Amino acid sequence: MTTANQEKNKIDAIIRACRLLSRMSQARPDARKSEVLYYQMLSKYYTRLLNAKEEGNFIAAHTVFFPTEILYAMDIVPMHTEATTWMISLFTGECADILSAGAELGLASEICTPHRGLAGAYAIGTLPHPDVMLWSNMVCDNTAKSGEMLMEINHCPGFFIDRPFQQSDEEERYLVGELKDMINFLEEQSGRKMNWSRLEEIVARMDKQIELTREICELRKAVPTPFHPQGFLELVSTDYLLPGQPEAIEYLETLRQELTEMVKTGKGAVSHERFRLMTLFLPPMYLMGFLEKLSQEYGAVSVTEPFFTYWGEGKLDPAKPLESVAKKSYMIPEMRMYGPLDERALGSIVDCAKQYKVDGAIYYADVGCRHTCATIKLFKDILSKIDVPVLTLDCDVVDPTATSAEEVREKLGQFFELLEDR
Amino acid sequence: MKALGIDIGSLTTKVVILDNDNIVTSVITLSSDEAELSARAAMEQALSQAELTDSNNFYIVSTGMGGKSVPFSQQQKAITTCLGRGIHYFFPSVRTAIDMGAESSTVIRANERGRIVDWANHDKCAAGTGVFLQQMAKLLQMPLEEMSRLSFQAKSRADISGTCAVFAESEVISHVHRDPPTPKDEIIAGIYFSIVSRIMTLCKRIGTEKDVAVAGGVALNNGLVHALEEEIGFRVLVPDTPQIVTALGAALIARENIEKGAK
Repeated sequence: MTTANQEKNKIDAIIRACRLLSRMSQARPDARKSEVLYYQMLSKYYTRLLNAKEEGNFIAAHTVFFPTEILYAMDIVPMHTEATTWMISLFTGECADILSAGAELGLASEICTPHRGLAGAYAIGTLPHPDVMLWSNMVCDNTAKSGEMLMEINHCPGFFIDRPFQQSDEEERYLVGELKDMINFLEEQSGRKMNWSRLEEIVARMDKQIELTREICELRKAVPTPFHPQGFLELVSTDYLLPGQPEAIEYLETLRQELTEMVKTGKGAVSHERFRLMTLFLPPMYLMGFLEKLSQEYGAVSVTEPFFTYWGEGKLDPAKPLESVAKKSYMIPEMRMYGPLDERALGSIVDCAKQYKVDGAIYYADVGCRHTCATIKLFKDILSKIDVPVLTLDCDVVDPTATSAEEVREKLGQFFELLEDR
Repeated sequence: MKALGIDIGSLTTKVVILDNDNIVTSVITLSSDEAELSARAAMEQALSQAELTDSNNFYIVSTGMGGKSVPFSQQQKAITTCLGRGIHYFFPSVRTAIDMGAESSTVIRANERGRIVDWANHDKCAAGTGVFLQQMAKLLQMPLEEMSRLSFQAKSRADISGTCAVFAESEVISHVHRDPPTPKDEIIAGIYFSIVSRIMTLCKRIGTEKDVAVAGGVALNNGLVHALEEEIGFRVLVPDTPQIVTALGAALIARENIEKGAK
């Protein structure tokens, strides 16, 4: 049986961790102001979610890469499902209970853990109950079925967005039609009306957010690179949780300013930069602290993450907000691994490696993500042509039983030795 | 100053002492529970064998599973790095080396200087390792040499799972107790094939480039090496003492450090 306290405990744990980290950052004389803002931003996102029901708000749980801008414009409280599983792993280090609950639902251990964990978390009532479930085939295949299952577990209505795989004007128009249908569904379910002028503001800010991320990534090309080894996760979380939100702009502007100063003074993120790395897919969240320390120890820093921070070309037009939201779904960095793997997509990985002067790449092969694991060889082969070695590290993004810290240390140590020995 | 390499494996500890380019001596001893004790014992034996006494005149590089637990080594290096150097010493033409150890299998691709280009290893399951092979020999109640000899007589091979050591053992037991029992040479051929198929997945993962060499204690098993050659499609090179390749690589790195002025 689910109790009110149970329903809140995972979200509450994330908020407490974010507040603690924010206070710890504030107390450190050398802390980045952006780091403080980042934790405050996450804390605010989850506090809003935690208090949503008490404050009479409407919660829409949605899967990854969903057009959250629409939810913000309708004053609906979003809950990014996969990112919330990562946050549970990242901030509490403990996902065993929700993964075990997922297994009790009959979900096989080969299924993507964020989805398995989510199902388990909802089943045992450790996440706020959503009023609606929104999901899509955008852009991971697993999501298309997982969203339906989450809707059934939560006994709530849901809406599936069918997003075309290829991109053309016609396909973008089709997606706009899907978004309109979803807005109608949300208006009907929540009793709230779409605020079109607010959506225009959000799209304008999202365009700025993309531009700021591009500028930050440009600054990261500097040698030594200014952003801390696993810092890209901040950019990913900001994009996933707070698209077009004022606090996201404030955080990114502050970060840009800090990195600009560091580049001007030639200050690097690690004391002695030895290895510039490309990160492919997501590292295990429960090892982020360990990876950060390891990076400092070896002078290894992730300078680029083409699947997460390297936005495609294009601008959003606030005068055409829905069209822009549709267009954005084809501009997201993740399209490089989930979209058509044509010469353009593969070529952009090579360009990225060259532009950021990477010494090597690490592919965090999430065992549950068959979609991305199937592409490893392709990316490895194309990078080997320009003499960039790739380490494939079998792991799981949230499940600590898949790979231990010691195994990761061993393999990364070997890889850094390989890079040094060349 | 002489160069000394120590490879502390889960089953055996290997030491190689180099004087310039020449192997002065090498020893292979059984590993004990503590890596440091294993390393000390093997080193003392090597020094005694080479009639050397002053351990201060050595630059020591350690490697292997216990390589990081040797407090008296000046440097610790990864198995892959040492394997590349060691195999290059024996066969400079080698671009792919397969190390078949007691508890793990590693495949490396190396360049013309013996530097690693890529590698892959199995370290999650004992299937395909020396320990697995020993277990199978025990199960079939014959020494490893006999297994190797019998494997050449096999006309066909039994199906043995290559994915799990425990399941493979159950399958072998099932073959032994069938009525009539599966001939032992066919069971052995099946066991070898299951080991080789696991190694081949590693080879395919990183790409196999000629020449190919095999190292590690399992490389002493002619039958298994033959099975590997059949799968790979050409002859592979095997050093005279394949067990010491990684320790030799560690010693070669120690020598490089001496040449760079390390003390």
